[in-house]
Amino acid sequence: MVVLLSVIIGLLMVVIFRYTSDQTAIRLAKDHLKAHLLAVRLFQDQLPVVLNSYARIIAGTGKYLRLAFKPLLFIILPLTLVIVELDRYLGATPLQTGQAFLVTAHAADADSLNNLSLQLPPQMSTTAPPVHIPADNEVVWRVVAATDGNYDIGIAAAGQTFSKRTVVSSRLARLSPVRLRGQFWKRIFISAEPALSDPGPVTSIALNYPSRNIYFAWMEWNWIWLFFVLSLAAGFLFKTILGIEI
Amino acid sequence: MKARRTNQFLKAAAVLIFVTALVSPAHAYAGPGAGFAVLSSFWTLFIAFLYSLYAFLTWPFRHLFRVLRHRNAYGKAQIKRAVILGFDGMDPELADRFINHGTLPNLAKLRRDGTFRKLRTTYPPISPVAWSTFMTGVNPGKHNIYDFLARDVNTYLPFLSSAEIRGPKRTLKLGKYTLPLGKPRIKGMRHGTPFWHWLGKAGIFCSVIRVPVTFPPEKFEGVLLSGMCVPDLKGSQGTFCFCTTRGDQSKFREGGVRVPIERNGTAYHSYIPGPDDPLGRPSELRVHFEIRPDSTKQQAHIIVDSEKFTLNVGEYSPWIPVKFKVGLGLSAHGICRFYLKEISPEVEVYVTPVNIDPAKPDLPISHPVTYSVYLSKLFGPYATLGLAEDTWALNEQVLDDDAFLAQCYANHNDRERMLFDALEKTQQGLCACVFDTTDRVQHMFWRYLEDDHPAARNVPKDQRPRVIEDLYSRMDALIGRVMNQIDDHTLLLVVSDHGFKSFARCVNVNAWLHQNGYLALKANKTESGDWFEDVDWSRTRAYTMGLNGVYLNLKGREREGIVFPEESRAVKEELRSKLDGLTDSATGRTAITGVFDCDATYTGPYADNAPDLIIGYGNGYRASWDSVLGKVTTQIFEDNVKAWSGDHCVDPRLVPGVLFSNHKIGEEKPAIVDVAPTILKLFGLAIPSYIDGKPWTLAI
Repeated sequence: MVVLLSVIIGLLMVVIFRYTSDQTAIRLAKDHLKAHLLAVRLFQDQLPVVLNSYARIIAGTGKYLRLAFKPLLFIILPLTLVIVELDRYLGATPLQTGQAFLVTAHAADADSLNNLSLQLPPQMSTTAPPVHIPADNEVVWRVVAATDGNYDIGIAAAGQTFSKRTVVSSRLARLSPVRLRGQFWKRIFISAEPALSDPGPVTSIALNYPSRNIYFAWMEWNWIWLFFVLSLAAGFLFKTILGIEI
Repeated sequence: MKARRTNQFLKAAAVLIFVTALVSPAHAYAGPGAGFAVLSSFWTLFIAFLYSLYAFLTWPFRHLFRVLRHRNAYGKAQIKRAVILGFDGMDPELADRFINHGTLPNLAKLRRDGTFRKLRTTYPPISPVAWSTFMTGVNPGKHNIYDFLARDVNTYLPFLSSAEIRGPKRTLKLGKYTLPLGKPRIKGMRHGTPFWHWLGKAGIFCSVIRVPVTFPPEKFEGVLLSGMCVPDLKGSQGTFCFCTTRGDQSKFREGGVRVPIERNGTAYHSYIPGPDDPLGRPSELRVHFEIRPDSTKQQAHIIVDSEKFTLNVGEYSPWIPVKFKVGLGLSAHGICRFYLKEISPEVEVYVTPVNIDPAKPDLPISHPVTYSVYLSKLFGPYATLGLAEDTWALNEQVLDDDAFLAQCYANHNDRERMLFDALEKTQQGLCACVFDTTDRVQHMFWRYLEDDHPAARNVPKDQRPRVIEDLYSRMDALIGRVMNQIDDHTLLLVVSDHGFKSFARCVNVNAWLHQNGYLALKANKTESGDWFEDVDWSRTRAYTMGLNGVYLNLKGREREGIVFPEESRAVKEELRSKLDGLTDSATGRTAITGVFDCDATYTGPYADNAPDLIIGYGNGYRASWDSVLGKVTTQIFEDNVKAWSGDHCVDPRLVPGVLFSNHKIGEEKPAIVDVAPTILKLFGLAIPSYIDGKPWTLAI
């Protein structure tokens, strides 16, 4: 799936690059860079020419990066959002039945810690007493699920209950490793759940979903690195086929 | 405006930085496009840095090595730099006339403060001959170039005198395919050592641009871009393509092919003929293209492979890359320009000869090979064909005067850019560049200089453009720009290989030989087709082909020779006495003012390859178009009505070249053969004993 996504996104991105960039200017800038590189080799015994060419290479690289900047603006926002969403599916694996996991509740202050309690659905149970970490304003529970399913774990405090979506499954699923109070940008990029009510005694509830590793080409990869390599390779292939200057 | 742009740029940069700062490093990956940009610019910088570091760190050692090896290359030099501007065919009489008119201020300055002389040329005064002598400092008997063409003594057919291109040495036969196992073999036929080789060996850097007869490029310590004699992708010296919907099936005499345009709905389709199939199939390679005319706007959209462009009527495209696909992953790369001649009622498109792509040269056209690539990357694609200005297309009226001039000056402007880059890169040493525009424009527009040229009789005198005066003015401006870039330690030489004269009347020497009993035709023939098709060699004693040479049909040399070697001197003397002073009865003028015995003219190991006699035509005369191609006609003389109306393949004494310099030159009668030894002497090098030229004395 990562391979397919990388190829599709690689293709899409070079096509967007094609239509949002000044292809002629990029080709010229690249050609000039190559010319100055060749000049270093052709006139290597003439130090002033070499130094001059080097200065032009630096200036040319700046120009080239400036030309790549505009399409970068068009690409970076949608691609970042796509990657964030993909990361929710591919960045971690859901919890497994019988596999213990940690639920960490972060309180607004150390005084609230003793008032926090865990409310589990019937398919889940704790396997150890909670651990209080006053220095970090955190309480940690070790929990295990008996059957697959999407559950809401509750944290009760001061008459309110704060829930956290928990996925126990052996399939691909959209995961949210943390639910946050406030912190808009962090919620956009990391959490996939609505904000916790504000003000309130709980500032975040986190689960430690295991990170996902993908076996590809005799190696274990984090999906983002595999995506990086494959989408670059796909982009390179498509730019050549479609005659796009990058 | 600039401030607003900067502001926008800063805002955009701020947005980008803000977004990337928010996300984790993995999320900040912005796709393959930007990824490539960052990676490749980093890679470029990295490579540049390594190269520069290497060059910087090793420079003292290399400099020391050079000093030790060359014992200080410039130690005995009288000059720091020599800049040679070659203007093919610049005529001293015209230059003098225009200087006196006040239109050439820079040449006037050189004449006043430096030197202006007539430069004696070679026998015959033809560019490949003269430029070969220029670069080697020897007579043609030592460099082996006597004309554009030489003849095969076995077949009486011509071949290109400067280079031979053959297929690869080894091939593999696979069914109907013949796979080439290697590169084409290119053999240079010009002998002798160009003076820049001696300079390079001594550690003096040279930039040599488009000097004729430098194909194939030879290795030396400098950079060189080959000039005249570089073939097109078909292997010819320039074959244009004229695509037309007109049903005319007639063939062009030479230099071009007519290709039909087929209509398909609103679109038209045609093709560019390319080289022969290198896999051995009996067909030529082709690149197809589509034309979509828009008669309301007087323009057409043209689609060639992935290239799409729009041309107005009377407009050239930029250089368009074309790829002739061979199959099995092989292809030949070329570049060409399209010219939209007409879209209504007929559609006509002219395509230049397909030049070797300098960025991906299928044949070597520079030394090192990367030099042509470097120039292409720096300035964009440029004409690489030796005879890049398409004189044949104007001769055949496929192009008009304006279209031809536009082509000439586009090529010329590219050449100027190369020259100024070479000047910048060669602060010490030799910088030599030859411009062909002067030759081509004078060939094609001489008709407007004369009152009664047969090729311009239908153009009223007050409507004749001042093309040649404008040409000299442009060259003068170029010389002025070069003069602004050089100092007193630089020697500037402005030279031409020959001058120019009118070509109003054609002389078919083969016809004269036939009528005077030296050349016989087969039974019942009164004329012969091209390349002596109907000549009876068993009764022929002499023949001519090419521009100035006359050959005896010598026994033991030519396959069907009948003139015994012991009679050759007498036959030559007889021919010389009869041809010298030959008068055109229609005009009463002398058509041939000199006939030169090659035994007395040339010395050297290749003198045997020379013609037996060289004909020096009088002012206004030249070998006829038919005679050059080995055709025998009934008429000896005829008017030349082609646009090609000026020429220099005449009596060498009538067409000396020019020599201008920014320094005083003592020699009163300099010759083109003297340039090489003069440059060697000025750089403090010994002059090899075999060199025929004599160095000039300069006031440095």
